[in-house]
Amino acid sequence: MGSIDYTQELSVVEGKPALRELDELISKPLDSKPDIKFYIALAVTLTMLTIGAIGLTASLYYGTGLWGNNNPVGWGFPIVNFVFWIGIGHAGTLISAILFLFRQKWRTGIARFAEGMTIFAVITAMIFPIIHTGRPWLAAIYLLPYPNQHSLWVNFTSPLLWDVFAVSTYFTVSFVFWYIGLIPDFATLRDRTSNKIKKIIYSVTSLGWRHSNRHWQNYELTYLILAGFATPLVLSVHTIVSFDFAVAILPGWHTTIFPPYFVAGAVFSGFAMVQNVLIFIRKIFNYEHIITMDTLERMNKIILLTGMLVGYAYSMEFFIAWYSGVQPEVFAFMNRAFGDYFWAYWIMFSCNVFIPQLFWFKKVRRSIPFMFVIAVLVNVGMWFERFVITVTSLSRDYLPSSWAYFKPTLTDASLLIGSFGLFFTLVLLFTKSLPVISIAEVKAVVDGSQPKHGDH
Amino acid sequence: MSNKIGTKNIWKSIKEYQEDPEVLEAKLHEFKQGVTDDFDPDQQSTFSRRKFLAVLAASTAYAATACTNYRDKGEIVPYVKRPEEILPGKPTYYASTFAEDGLSYGVLVKTREGRPIKVEGNPDDPINKGKIPSRVHASILNLYDPDRLQSPTISKVKSSWKIVNEEIASKLAEANSANKEIAVFTNHITSPTTAKVLDEFKLKFPSVKIYTTHLANDNNRVSAWKKCYNQNILPSIKWNKAKIIVALESDFLGKEGNTVENRANYALGRDIVYTKELSKLYSVEGAMSLTGMNSDIRLRLNPQLQFEFVLSLANQLMQLGAFGASELSDNVISLIRKNSLNNFAEKSGLQIEKLKLIAKDLAENKSNSILVAGDALNEKVHIFVNLLNDLLGNNSLYNYDHGFLIDSEISTPQELKSFVAKCNDGKIAAVINLDANPVYELPTSLGLSDALSKVETIISLSEAPNETTNLSKYILPLHNYLEAWGDHKTRNGLLTLQQPVISPLFDTKQKEEILLSWINTEPVDYHKYLMENFKTEVFDTNNSIADFNTYWLTSLHDGIVTTSKNSITENKFDQSIVKDFTTSLDGFTVLVQNNYSFGTGKYANNGWLQELPHPVTKVAWDNFAAVAQRTAEKLNIVNDDLIEISVNGKSIKLPTMIQPGMAEDTIAIELGYGRKNSGEVANEVGFNVNELLNENSLSQFIFGGATITKTGEVYKLASTQEHHSLDEEFVKDFHRIREIIQEGTLEEYKKNPSFLKEHKHEIFSITEPHKYPNEKWAMSIDLNKCLGCSECISACNVENNVPVVGKDQVARGREMQWIRIDRYYSGTPEEPIVSAQPMLCQHCDNAPCENVCPVNATNHSPDGLNQMAYNRCVGTRYCSNNCPYKVRRFNFYNFRDNFADSHYQNELTDLVNNPEVTVRSRGVIEKCSFCIQNIMEVRENAIRENRPINPNEVKTACQSACPTQAIEFGDSNNKNSYVTKNREHELSYHVLEELNVRPNVTYLAKIRNTDSEDI
Repeated sequence: MGSIDYTQELSVVEGKPALRELDELISKPLDSKPDIKFYIALAVTLTMLTIGAIGLTASLYYGTGLWGNNNPVGWGFPIVNFVFWIGIGHAGTLISAILFLFRQKWRTGIARFAEGMTIFAVITAMIFPIIHTGRPWLAAIYLLPYPNQHSLWVNFTSPLLWDVFAVSTYFTVSFVFWYIGLIPDFATLRDRTSNKIKKIIYSVTSLGWRHSNRHWQNYELTYLILAGFATPLVLSVHTIVSFDFAVAILPGWHTTIFPPYFVAGAVFSGFAMVQNVLIFIRKIFNYEHIITMDTLERMNKIILLTGMLVGYAYSMEFFIAWYSGVQPEVFAFMNRAFGDYFWAYWIMFSCNVFIPQLFWFKKVRRSIPFMFVIAVLVNVGMWFERFVITVTSLSRDYLPSSWAYFKPTLTDASLLIGSFGLFFTLVLLFTKSLPVISIAEVKAVVDGSQPKHGDH
Repeated sequence: MSNKIGTKNIWKSIKEYQEDPEVLEAKLHEFKQGVTDDFDPDQQSTFSRRKFLAVLAASTAYAATACTNYRDKGEIVPYVKRPEEILPGKPTYYASTFAEDGLSYGVLVKTREGRPIKVEGNPDDPINKGKIPSRVHASILNLYDPDRLQSPTISKVKSSWKIVNEEIASKLAEANSANKEIAVFTNHITSPTTAKVLDEFKLKFPSVKIYTTHLANDNNRVSAWKKCYNQNILPSIKWNKAKIIVALESDFLGKEGNTVENRANYALGRDIVYTKELSKLYSVEGAMSLTGMNSDIRLRLNPQLQFEFVLSLANQLMQLGAFGASELSDNVISLIRKNSLNNFAEKSGLQIEKLKLIAKDLAENKSNSILVAGDALNEKVHIFVNLLNDLLGNNSLYNYDHGFLIDSEISTPQELKSFVAKCNDGKIAAVINLDANPVYELPTSLGLSDALSKVETIISLSEAPNETTNLSKYILPLHNYLEAWGDHKTRNGLLTLQQPVISPLFDTKQKEEILLSWINTEPVDYHKYLMENFKTEVFDTNNSIADFNTYWLTSLHDGIVTTSKNSITENKFDQSIVKDFTTSLDGFTVLVQNNYSFGTGKYANNGWLQELPHPVTKVAWDNFAAVAQRTAEKLNIVNDDLIEISVNGKSIKLPTMIQPGMAEDTIAIELGYGRKNSGEVANEVGFNVNELLNENSLSQFIFGGATITKTGEVYKLASTQEHHSLDEEFVKDFHRIREIIQEGTLEEYKKNPSFLKEHKHEIFSITEPHKYPNEKWAMSIDLNKCLGCSECISACNVENNVPVVGKDQVARGREMQWIRIDRYYSGTPEEPIVSAQPMLCQHCDNAPCENVCPVNATNHSPDGLNQMAYNRCVGTRYCSNNCPYKVRRFNFYNFRDNFADSHYQNELTDLVNNPEVTVRSRGVIEKCSFCIQNIMEVRENAIRENRPINPNEVKTACQSACPTQAIEFGDSNNKNSYVTKNREHELSYHVLEELNVRPNVTYLAKIRNTDSEDI
């Protein structure tokens, strides 16, 4: 092992692939017919989606009574799933916007995919706030501030309404950002394809892109501005989601630490999910030299960091509860750790705080099986974090007379499975319909593509 | 080229073009001669333009309505001539009577457009003073019960009254001529006119023999009273005058005697808020009862030891000089001398200090105290308790004013056994069940159902199916009490009248009318019959100056008539009847009790009552075996374990319920469950305890020498409150730590009246409080008077259309009741201190539910109400999550049709709904509205009469129902309202005050009379 030359920036793309090769490689999944493995994977995800659809149809037909929710536990799995999926989305925006602004070149290999996952995660998440209501057919309308003859307005003091705005803004901006990034790639695909239908589609979606210098200038500026737009959203969306809890007066919900804690948690789980999926993508599509081990290691470092952030938040919650001297507050947290739902709490704590500590070891950070398992556990832990926050706080609140234990039902489970089904179905379709790596951006970070000082 | 033939530029025909003169001529006369000759207006169609337009409009409207989904296909016909007493939209009240098990309650039936929607107490009733028990509130549902019998049947085949009556008449005549017994089963007959009909019936058919059954009877008390004083009148007790009350296994506040009267009078002695006086209630019992829950000092005692206890107490009282030996006969003295309080304390394990305290209090409060023995205790205990009350001069608390009439006696076991034998020998010609259900009500071991299978002619007159109708050949459906005439005499000097408030819903008949139709060939109108009897029995003896018709109508209007009283003979207590009585303490003791909500009779098939949580355990939809925690540990059983209880070779299985405060080795179980063939709601709910009862003694409710075995099976009980073990440190005493329940003792309160307020901080808001310039509605609940009896729940259910959700949903924590009674334990599992607290929407000024609703479905009214707009609610349940009191209820299903395959979703049962209250659909939140419909009604009246609203004028349903007047409601902006007074009282507090949600339900802290400063 020689010493590292820190004056030289390390290349984020291994080898020095020709630009044409990159075009070929990235557009290959779009040109070739799906193989049997793809169909098997799709069959699995569609089955999960169908299970969810059956659960949802039954819930809409019979009512929310099919779930485990009761009085006092008004919110159960659907809200847990909502917060979980919104959180998953965060990695994408963070990678594509914030890392872009910080000029982190290693993001280029994974940004497109992460952004795609953001959009799918938000789509999955958005289903839940609607279906969790007692009357979804009205919720979809009444939650929007539309003018009407009754002069009935939505309640702007309700965090649920803030959610409506936060999530819809988030989806819109993410989608536009993603699409703008796709335009040069659509043009490349248009130029490459010989299929007439594809040609028409790509011609339309590429909006007349001609790779001209002027186009590139406009593009770069727009992309920068949108990145600037998206950056506060990374922080705001989960902050507002956390307000659903923090603004309430329920012990265990009513804490000021929630906004940063939720954002850290969201990035944590989002990175874990992106890492999980990318491990498959780079293997299946032979992108190992574009999505390099270095990139994965960097992601694992972020997982380690955010994991410690949530660990800090967990401890701080206890401290503040004790420091407040408010008995219901103290009990809410003691109850999480030692009450009826202690198992959920300790699953959460182990998966989110203890297990990611293994990433201190470089070998673990760079071992595909290890990092995969750890990231899966991180997402298990993060799902349970939302469960612990939502359910345990509700099940034992102020008056002991109204306490009740929440037991999920099969319908609850089917909706959870269905959400994974929907998400992964969308991911699978994405891999075969759009370039999962930004062709244009990757080209820009290949060694030698950028002018260097002293070259001339 | 001039090819021009004509000159016209514009032409309509060739002739015109060619300028034919004929055409020109015609053009000059637009209307040619004779053109109108054919026009004859009379010949025209008579279809006028006006009519055409009308038809056009009508057909357009018709077409338009055809396009809408107009669901109501029923007829809506307005009154052409308005009936005199009905004003659409305004309720009409009729006085009537509800009678069951020898008790009667004067009621006012609220009807809307001719349909009864609520039963309320009749304030003119001098006994019950406008209060009624929960089963009377809920009884309205029985009128609209889809399980009611709807037409007469013969061998389960629908028939007609004519055929049925003819067949029965011939059978009875046959039996009469063969001189074979016609057995008539009935419950206590409280109606003098019904008694008269039965007498006529007996006269016509001399072989009639009447059997009276009463499952959870008070025979021990009644026969003891008769033996002691030889009177046919049992006095009620002036609880309010008693300084010391010692309840011996007696649940006089819960399920014994006229609980409405007991509760009201008892609460008068507990009105510390206004009188500063507090009676002291001792409860010595084995099972945790509502009375025990409310007692100041409670001692756990195996019910078999009660006799020894009263003897030892007498010994101690004699030592204290409360009465002298000279007042006693020799046999009593020797009995008393055999026992002493010290020995008893040793034997029972009770604290001698507490036992001595009882004796001391009784001795110091002679003629101001009362000992009361429970229905379950042996007659000999009752006799001795009567003697003690006599010796202590406590008989001054006996209220003979309107004593209970106790002439009616239940059939003896010998009579019933001989009946069974006669059935088996074929000596019974016919059995008539006159609104009674002997197959269920009599001990199963009597073998009545087998015996009845040998009788060919069984005639059941019943309102709803039950175990006995199932065995009957002839089933004759009866009117509901709201469809029937009647009179009831349960108290000395009082007659209450019962009148129909709706014409019969089905092909049913009045039971007396059926009997009369068998006696006479001519049909008899019972209404007239009743009037005639009333005339001879009441009118003629009352020397009224009014004519009969006026008198009758006035009596009907009032519902209650005072009549001549039976004279009371003052008889000296004959001490020779005091007898010794020994029990053995081997094995377990089983205590069988009546149940709280629906008794044993026809009200088991009432969903509202089945769902009413047990006031102590909060279990709904089941009975259970209540055991002490130590006993459970000994038997190695936990909650919900199915155990087998065996007594004298009989055994039943019941689920376990570990009940704090139970005496060890004592099992308490309740009657009235385990019904069969009694309707969709009642069937197979709980377990039939009658299988354990003794066929040789119908009033034995305490069984010694029982064995308990664990079956290994589990049966889940559904409860509205979680059961935490009392010694679980993790969650112990939260209601005290969080100041949900704030209590004090009399000593503490006397020393420092404002002890409650002292440690409190001032809570301030950083925002301006809302302004309530006019009324601001608020409630106060006096926890000194609240007994936790749950009758408010029943009344609220009826008033506010609260649905029945069923056991499975209760088990999931989805019961819909708007008001609940929270029950908290503190202390040890052995000696628990119980606190009850009604919890309903607190209508907070800073309501946390309101600002989290995204669609503004819940908001605040200018008069301080937290309102729900059901139409706007989308069901996010955020409000419920954010409610610290968790009083909001969510419609997880369409609860109208969710229970038992839409059992209560039908045209008939829909009639029970209060038209002033929205019926909630699936997916919306609902909660207590402070009976806003009543507020609006009062407001409308005030506006119409151009006057301000009286601050105490509005009554909520729970308030009207509360037998102890613990609940007050009114305008808290008005200094003259009771609510304001209570709010300003030194004992007032709010639950979870520190949250600064500013609730509008004020609680008045309970003060316990414990003789120490500790609770």
